[in-house]
Amino acid sequence: MLRPSRSSGRAAGLALAWAVAGAAAAEEPALKHIPDLTPTQWLERMDQALTARNYDGTFSHWQGGRVEMLRIIHRVQDGTVSERLASLDGSGREFIRTGASLACYLPDRRTVLVEERPAEESLVGFPSVNDQTASLYDIREVGHMRLNRRETHVITVSPKDEYRYGYRLWIDDSTAMPLKSQLADAHGQVIEQIVFASLTLSSRIPDTAFRPEISTAGFRWLHNDAAPHLQPGSAGLAWSAISLPPGFRMTVRSAQTLPGSAGPVDHLVFTDGFASVSVFVERQSVPSGQPPVPESATVGSSSAFSTVVDGHKITAVGEVPPATVRFIASQVRAQGVASAGR
Amino acid sequence: MNEELDSQLSAMFDDELAPAECELLARRLSRDEPLKARWGRYAIIGAVIRAERGVRLNAPLAGRVNAVLLAEPALAAHAAPRDRTSMRLRWWQPLAGSAVAAGVAAVSILWLRTHSPAADAQLAARVASPAAVSPAPAGAAAQGDSYIVPLPKPAGVMVPSTELANYVVAHSMFSPPVARRNLLSAFMTSEPAPAGTDEPQSDVKTIAQ
Repeated sequence: MLRPSRSSGRAAGLALAWAVAGAAAAEEPALKHIPDLTPTQWLERMDQALTARNYDGTFSHWQGGRVEMLRIIHRVQDGTVSERLASLDGSGREFIRTGASLACYLPDRRTVLVEERPAEESLVGFPSVNDQTASLYDIREVGHMRLNRRETHVITVSPKDEYRYGYRLWIDDSTAMPLKSQLADAHGQVIEQIVFASLTLSSRIPDTAFRPEISTAGFRWLHNDAAPHLQPGSAGLAWSAISLPPGFRMTVRSAQTLPGSAGPVDHLVFTDGFASVSVFVERQSVPSGQPPVPESATVGSSSAFSTVVDGHKITAVGEVPPATVRFIASQVRAQGVASAGR
Repeated sequence: MNEELDSQLSAMFDDELAPAECELLARRLSRDEPLKARWGRYAIIGAVIRAERGVRLNAPLAGRVNAVLLAEPALAAHAAPRDRTSMRLRWWQPLAGSAVAAGVAAVSILWLRTHSPAADAQLAARVASPAAVSPAPAGAAAQGDSYIVPLPKPAGVMVPSTELANYVVAHSMFSPPVARRNLLSAFMTSEPAPAGTDEPQSDVKTIAQ
């Protein structure tokens, strides 16, 4: 079991350190209240805080009536991002990222997935909130309230159509960390919620914090091919979407090998600046006489949809409603290849 | 369970325990299974008493809740309904065990204390009204600035396959920070595979849409 890290004198102010009930928190002295930021600027500050800060926190994750505690540790050191996310009282799964290396520990499957990404992809830039984003979402500050004895700005991001989800974010006034976040569906119902119970912003997090707690003796290790596959097209085909939901555009097209995968998989990424959808394309061998049938799934609030086009399995995954991944997956085609059976 | 500990739990639940004591008790909760179970019962009973609409119980937990409610007959009429397992999620294997209940119980009190539906009712921005998937008129959200109390979505009691896990992890690297955290958290908390489950060569089952 992971233990919440203790405060040390080396922590930069120990900005936040709550007990479960919200014990008094000490302010990080270097950070002051920044008045008069627009809601969009708050979102930018939040993204910056989540990606560039060092932090160690525990939070509750609520989805579909289930609540579970997780711990997240995030560090940026010499330009290298390290991150560890662990389930504290459920599956025991852990996700550890160290630079370009991703490892996913699945004790319930006695499996470890290890993916080495090309170095140039180790730090992924995210589209910033811009005018286009503002045309797709209504972004506003709806309140200023105390949460766990911290002052927060409550920012809502409401989609203007049903291709995307909305967010409610309680952003800490002084650190810009989202202390609470809710994801809402098109009906305005919360479908996922994260609330930090403790959070420590430290100037230094040791390497030992990024080691898995579980024993992997007897586990199956699935590695991918470490060599980068940057040329698009697992079979020399350039895949793209012939039509997309409003505001979505393709930002990444690459080929990679996934752990345990037999061959390279084309990976396309579509984003509207706030939500993103990945499409994976790989060769599919369908037994003769069995027509391919689409399938769908969800991971928390995220959705997945898989179908077969021109002998390739097309799988779309993203933090969007199920209909959106279905729409995008159904629009993917290989350039210059006539679609068979459609 | 000694009386003092019981009293502390009750005080913690009622937000009347000193922060330092709360922290100590929270740490103890993380490693004391019987205490965790009792904590969960407090949470459930408290939620039912408050008739909090956001509280739904997953199927494995529901049996335990029923037992609690039988012991608390005055509350039985308000028991939360069971969630139904979605049939569309064949990418996950059904959970055979009930190992999740303790985890749910342990944390739900935290959520209950930090999540006030009444407060959320004022803050939950309503987005465009539901319809078949098609773009809503621009400005639809602007009309939807009324607020509603959120309801949970039925849980899928499923386990991700290795194949889908690969996709999720690969996709997470390209998600915006908040979405990425949500995605990975959901993946981490999806229910574990039953002990001894072997990963089939391809556990992706197809189902007609």
